[in-house]
Amino acid sequence: MPSLLNKTSALALAGALLLSAPSAMAQEILTSRAPDRDQQLLDGAKKEGQVVLYSAAIVNQALRPMAEAFMKKYPFVKVTYWRADTEEIISKLSAEVRAKNVVADLVEGTGVGELAVESGLTVPFTTPATDALPEMYRDPRGNWASTRISYFGLAYNTKLVPADQVPKTYEDLLDPKWKGKLSWRINTSSGTPLFITTIRLTLGEDKAKEYFDKLAQQKIINFGSGSARTLVDRVIAGEIPIALNIFAHHPLISKAKGAPVNTQLLGPVPSTAGTMVVPKGVRHPYAAMLLADFIIAKEGQSIFAKAEYFPVRPDVAPLETLAPVVPKVAGVQELFVSSEKLNRYYESSQKIFEDKFRQ
Amino acid sequence: MTTQIEEPRRPTLPWPALRWPENLRVSPLVLLLIAVLLIAVVPPALFLINASLHETLPDGANGAFTWRFYQQLVSGRFFLPSLVNTMIYACGSAVIAISIGTVQALIVERTNTPGRKLAFLAAIISLGVPHILYTVAWLLLLGRSGPVNDLLSSLFNTTQALDVYSLWGMMLIEGIGFVPLTFLLMSAVLRSTDASFEEAAMMSGASPVRAFASVTLRMALPALAGLTLLIFVKAFESFEVPALVGLAGNVNVITTMIYQSSRHAGSPNYGEAGAYSVCLIIILLGLMFWQSQLSRHAKRYQTITGKGFRPRVIDLGGWRYGASALLVGLFLMVTVIPVAMLAFTSFQPFYGGVSLESFTRLSLENYQALLGPGSFRDSILNTLTLGAMTATLVVPFTALCAWLVVRRAPGAWIIDQIASVPLVFPAIILSVAFLDVFVNSSLPLYGTLLSVILASSVRYLPYGMRYAVAGAMQVHTDLEEAATISGASRARVFFKILAPLLAATLISSWLLIFLLSVQAVSLPLLLVGPGSEVMAVTLFELWQNGQVTELAAMGVLWIALMTCVSVMFHMLTRRHQLSV
Repeated sequence: MPSLLNKTSALALAGALLLSAPSAMAQEILTSRAPDRDQQLLDGAKKEGQVVLYSAAIVNQALRPMAEAFMKKYPFVKVTYWRADTEEIISKLSAEVRAKNVVADLVEGTGVGELAVESGLTVPFTTPATDALPEMYRDPRGNWASTRISYFGLAYNTKLVPADQVPKTYEDLLDPKWKGKLSWRINTSSGTPLFITTIRLTLGEDKAKEYFDKLAQQKIINFGSGSARTLVDRVIAGEIPIALNIFAHHPLISKAKGAPVNTQLLGPVPSTAGTMVVPKGVRHPYAAMLLADFIIAKEGQSIFAKAEYFPVRPDVAPLETLAPVVPKVAGVQELFVSSEKLNRYYESSQKIFEDKFRQ
Repeated sequence: MTTQIEEPRRPTLPWPALRWPENLRVSPLVLLLIAVLLIAVVPPALFLINASLHETLPDGANGAFTWRFYQQLVSGRFFLPSLVNTMIYACGSAVIAISIGTVQALIVERTNTPGRKLAFLAAIISLGVPHILYTVAWLLLLGRSGPVNDLLSSLFNTTQALDVYSLWGMMLIEGIGFVPLTFLLMSAVLRSTDASFEEAAMMSGASPVRAFASVTLRMALPALAGLTLLIFVKAFESFEVPALVGLAGNVNVITTMIYQSSRHAGSPNYGEAGAYSVCLIIILLGLMFWQSQLSRHAKRYQTITGKGFRPRVIDLGGWRYGASALLVGLFLMVTVIPVAMLAFTSFQPFYGGVSLESFTRLSLENYQALLGPGSFRDSILNTLTLGAMTATLVVPFTALCAWLVVRRAPGAWIIDQIASVPLVFPAIILSVAFLDVFVNSSLPLYGTLLSVILASSVRYLPYGMRYAVAGAMQVHTDLEEAATISGASRARVFFKILAPLLAATLISSWLLIFLLSVQAVSLPLLLVGPGSEVMAVTLFELWQNGQVTELAAMGVLWIALMTCVSVMFHMLTRRHQLSV
């Protein structure tokens, strides 16, 4: 029989009742730059004995290996994780913070960062591990840290769309022959809002408006029932010829297995960073920092790379099979849309979608 | 044998009641049950109403009071069309499900058609198919590049013969998906209906069809109305088909509107979704009121009396082979096709269409991946516990409630109304509401399996209720009256008379709730925490991550497991001589 009340949450609650807020000392470690920070983390984490990670990464390939590798290195800390999509993570996190019943110690996912920060759900933290990252992937305020990069492109069914006809620029998408054959994801920030924001940032507002008027003529299929990955699956199944703004590496993974699908990058290629944040009222700050360091360190990044994600560290290479969609490798311009920027454009991009594309 | 058809009259048994004015009299037991139900139903309802009347602050807390969401709803250009779509879709699905399910139940329960008992197995297997896979299987079959369209286009030389991403496609897929449920519920109703009326009709020269239509169905009318309402509401609040089929064809219904509006702001925003849900609840309460008016004359339909009772089968003669063929056809459509699609996909390296070429790339890769270290094994015990506990909580509770309702205990109608309310909470919203309840609770429930069990007990309460009411409605009062006159207490009457007579119904109800609760995705999604994961959520994640072939493999194993559970159950009840 599995115990119905899991012990950790019962203990956590008892702990929370005893100490209504974690001590100020413990919180200081989050932004500590003390020379003995590493030792402090180890000592503190030993006392805490556990850390809870909420993440949007895939369990089998990423989260479980990450937890196992971490526990091998630090056997005195037990890692537990809960996986969900960004939207659910935010719902759960905000409920926990509001109720001052915070279970998560570290929260990771694409699009989680700025949203959680703006909603006042997080506390700033620093990890020296971010020093190894390119400038554009860092947050100077220390509210979030990048964990993985995503590039976005177009997926097409190779049986339905001959290679020489594949749209190669954003302008090509306006060709009347694609009417009713394009699809994109709605209801998620890396779907339509990212696509629309990319166009606005690239063309400027006036030209973007003209572009959207024309694009609206194409009667794009609004795909609202699953992740980007499931949209690519619809393309593979031949239900949809072309999917816009999907994670550029997904078609490559399926193509390697023989599926009739491929990626086409449109310049500029939008990229976003998966980020992690520390929730307000974190219960295991030492262990959380230890895990944060680990995820951005070479060890953690290599696990992400093996799990078919793109590492943020320049010194960890992505899988060879996926390299063709890295804009630098493909020789296409990259447009990094930070979660802060995406968030700033979110409402207005969503409104453009509602006005022109929602049917 | 004689069986009475009586006019409604007031129950002869006096109910102990508090001394309140006549029309406000409520028995203490009823009061207790109402209190329990209120504790279960009010917090999520309050959450919804509150969310619909307040601005949502960035951290998800309630801000200033506003009517804005209702105004937006009424003035928005999407509300009315989506409401109309929802009505058509829910009615269509209910009609398809009820007509197929009823015909199937009639054949199985009332005729001597060969092989009829296998229909139960078929229904149980189809209930084990995760809904999302079931939908995908149909899309694969009827989709733009599916075999049906291929065939039609080669026959008629058109490019696009069928567009399944439309209202009819939604109704068809959803309707057929509900057939196992309607079949099981209808059989429960028919099983406890006395067949002597049919015999009388047929001896007087009516054809079997006429006897079914004008006797059997009419006697089952109140139960049928309850069932229709259940399926209607289920379709009304269903999500997978509207999302996968409807959204792709730009057919919006209320649930997809709720989904879109609860997500479109990025940060949690339940105002608009709350307003939609409140409207849903109001519509449903209206429908339920209408249904309760209908079942006011329930007594006319009681057929299990103290005078000996045996449901009988009718000899169809040569027709029975036709009936067999019909059952086989239904079995193919409802069970074999989706399961076969699933099995086929589980041996594929990636998720493509069905073609000759696809048969050349069969592999066991997915099963190997599953049987390796994985969440599959972690979550299976949690899942079985969830299903068993939920069913065990709901079934006895609803049996008691149903008895009080059917016997018209003072105030019991309130029980029926409240117990049906969870039906209308869209699962996405119910999940958020329960998250809010548990995370703020002073009991250490948050993130535990127990919290998921409690939430799903509330969610599946209406199903248990419909099952139990259908059964209890047909037990005549005379047995209970006899027992009471002989000095038995109310508790004794319930346990010694009603419970055994209802046993078959209650066992089916247990199994149904077990199967439904282990499959639910949206509800446990936010409630589970690290360590309390359940399988349905794992399945959903596989789907979200595009590991569809692995998902299919897991689905096949899942169906196998559920079939084992059901067959074991079946054998167990056989041994105790309860026909289920």
